[in-house]
Order: sequence, then C-alpha cells, then structure tokens
Amino acid sequence: MSLLTYMDRPVPIAPGETVLEALLRAGIEAKSSCRAGTCQTCMHRAVSGTPPEASQRGLTEAQKAMGFFLPCVCKPETPLAIAPRDDAGARREAVVRSLERLSHDIIRLRIEADDFDYRPGQFLELIADDDLKRHYSLASHPEDDPYLEMHIRLHENGRMSRRLTERLAPGHRLHVAGPSGTCFYEGVDPDQPLVLIGAGTGLAPLYGVLRDALKRGHRGPIRLYHGARDPRGLYLRDELEALAGSRENLTYRPCALDADAHLRGDVAAVALESETGLEHSAFFLCGGENLVKRLKRDLFMRGASLRAIRADAFTPGA
Amino acid sequence: MSSLYERLGGEKAVNAAVELFYRRVLADGRIARFFEDVDMEDQIAKQKSFLTMAFGGPNKYTGKDMRNAHRRLVEKGLNDSHVDAVIDNLNTTLRQLGVPETEVKEVAALANSVRDDVLGR
Ligand code: FES
Repeated sequence: MSLLTYMDRPVPIAPGETVLEALLRAGIEAKSSCRAGTCQTCMHRAVSGTPPEASQRGLTEAQKAMGFFLPCVCKPETPLAIAPRDDAGARREAVVRSLERLSHDIIRLRIEADDFDYRPGQFLELIADDDLKRHYSLASHPEDDPYLEMHIRLHENGRMSRRLTERLAPGHRLHVAGPSGTCFYEGVDPDQPLVLIGAGTGLAPLYGVLRDALKRGHRGPIRLYHGARDPRGLYLRDELEALAGSRENLTYRPCALDADAHLRGDVAAVALESETGLEHSAFFLCGGENLVKRLKRDLFMRGASLRAIRADAFTPGA
Repeated sequence: MSSLYERLGGEKAVNAAVELFYRRVLADGRIARFFEDVDMEDQIAKQKSFLTMAFGGPNKYTGKDMRNAHRRLVEKGLNDSHVDAVIDNLNTTLRQLGVPETEVKEVAALANSVRDDVLGR
C-alpha cells in the first residue's frame, strides 16, 4: 500500500514532503493559505490510517476523532488514505425498517445498514434516487439500536416528503452515505454543564447526544431546550419529560412560539435567559440556519468558547 | 535574544488571545460588518493564523495570499480606517492579557507590515 492515497488514488510522496505538497505536485486541487498549520484552510480527513499528532494540533477533539488533519504540516510515516473535508464517503445499501408519525408533520424513519459506524448526533446522506438526496441527523445509538433513526419533517409538495409518505414502506431499499458532522459527545468533560438547544427536528441529534452523554455517565447538569412553532411540534415530549423526571441532573425545557402559559417561548431566548456561566459549558445547537447562527454568536459574545459550541444547521430540504 | 513569538508565549499565547480578540472585533461597530455572514469556525481559524503571524510565529504567507484572502473585503469597502480598527482591537486585547508595551508595539508593527497587501495596493 502506498504511503499516501487520495480518494483511492495512490499519490507519490517524497521523504520529508508534506501531504499538501504531494497533493499539489500530483495535480490535485487542494486549498491552502498559511501552510504552517494554523489557518485550517487545507483541512482534509483521513479515512484510514492515523495522521501524525502534529497535523491535528489546534483541532477540536471531535475533529480529531473524525480523522481531520492539516495536510500542510502532515508528513506521514505510516500509510494514510485521505479525502476532502466534506466528502460523504462511499454509499451503501440500507433497508427501511419502519416509518411512523411522531407528530402531524414529523415522521420517524428507521433503516438498517450494515457496518455503518457513526456517533450519535452525526448526520448521514439519505439517497432515495440519484437526484433525491437529503441530509438527516441520527437520533439512534450505535450500541443500543440495531437501526439508524432519523426524524424527518414533511414538507407539502416536498419530493423527499412525498417519497417517504407515498412510496416508501418497510423492506424497501435505498442508499446512505456518511456519516458526517462533529455534533457528538466526544471532547465533553463529564463534569461540565452540557447544554443542548434545538428547534424542530433539530431534536434528533440532540436526542442522540443526550443518550450518549447519559450512557457515558455524564455527571454535570444537562439542560435540553427544545423549541417548536406550535406545541404539536414538541414531539417526544412525554418521553423526555419522563426521562428528565428519572434523572437528577437532567432538565428538559420545551417551548413553543404559539402556546399558552408555561410552554410559551422562543427557544433561543429562553436558553439565553436561563444559561449563566457560559464559559464553563459545552453547547450543542441544532436547528434552522438562522437560529443556529444567531445562537452561536450570542453564546460566544456572552463568554462561551467557540471550541465548546458544536452546531448543526439545516437548510430546509424540500 | 528569543523571538517575539517565544517571548509572548507561542501557541499558548495565541490560543489565549484569539477568542478575546475575535469577540472585540465582532463587537466593534466600525468593522463588524466585514465579519457577518462568515462561518465562525472558519473565521476563528483565520484570526488565529493572523495572530500567529502578528506574533512573529510560523507562517508562510505571501503577499499574494494576503491579497487573495482580502479581495472580497476590499470590494466591500475595506480601507485603512478598518485596518487601524483591527490593530486597535489587537492592542487592547494584548494589554488586557498583560503583555508589556514593547511587545504590544512589535505586534502592531508586524500586523501593520501586511497592510498594503491586505488592502491590495
Ligand atoms: S494551509 Fe493553513 S493550516 Fe494548512
């Protein structure tokens, strides 16, 4: 096996040469800027092999766990197979196991795929057809669940929505690629406050992270904020209330924009109002792009470290 | 004599300064608009390499890299007054961290040395 492989293609690399130099010499387009391991412009991902420690300096724990590294300061000594940072990986076959309603417009899709390694909270690409692909976050736990679980909002006239509701049934085959994303528990200190904020089906990855945190014995307080437009969107509420009732360190705060009395609230505002001592907490944010962007900025400006904020934003997929 | 980067504390110093600095920049009405609509993670990595450069640390930036990286901002009206504001924020951040005045000046001078490239002149 050659020392360096890029997307299944062997790339010659001379002793003392960096991966970036080797890629460029082989005519592979790779972005770079500082070429000294600080700007992260050149980031790639190792799909097999372990990148040298020096090439992961400055990355977050989650990024390291995913195999991300900086080619401009990477001189591999053992074989390394790499891919661009947002490459979803090979697609594999999956079988639909079940489709259920979680609310009036959210369905729970469970599928089975062999050898699909992931961490709870990551997302995958669901491929129904070559021109019908969407990203969905995983709410399941690889050690507990024999399936991959996604929570999917149905959009009127959305192609994927129609496919899911009208044509897909248990036993049907489709494809998945991934996983991707760094929204998972890795790198969280078990004693620090863990703050999970999500809207709509942004609950899915948070649910995955929450289960993983509990399973790994997170000792610090865990606060889950879930927002929806109307209370019907607060799916899994009974289950989460029961879970919070049985765990001393877990609080669950559902809020809906069009609700009365105790449920009413904008999830971002409620979370920002309730959270203090932000510099000590780990945050996971998931929801629409605007919400995530706004929250990330507000949390950072109020003292949260950007390294402690994991976010996954989704663009509404039709 | 040890290098400026070493005197400041190297990578540790950069890590200590980067979020404080970035927070100041985002809160500064003179320049905040240039930083809207960019991914915060990408941006902080860029701030980090900017600080590494200004601290005299390892980097292989060329004038061309600087020009390319700032071209879009120059199109949006980036000028000397904005570079001044960035250096202001850098100075304040360093003072807040207790960096002696001599080093603050050295850092400012290094940051200033890329001004023409940044502004595409
Ligand atoms: S080019 Fe800046 S980290 Fe590699």
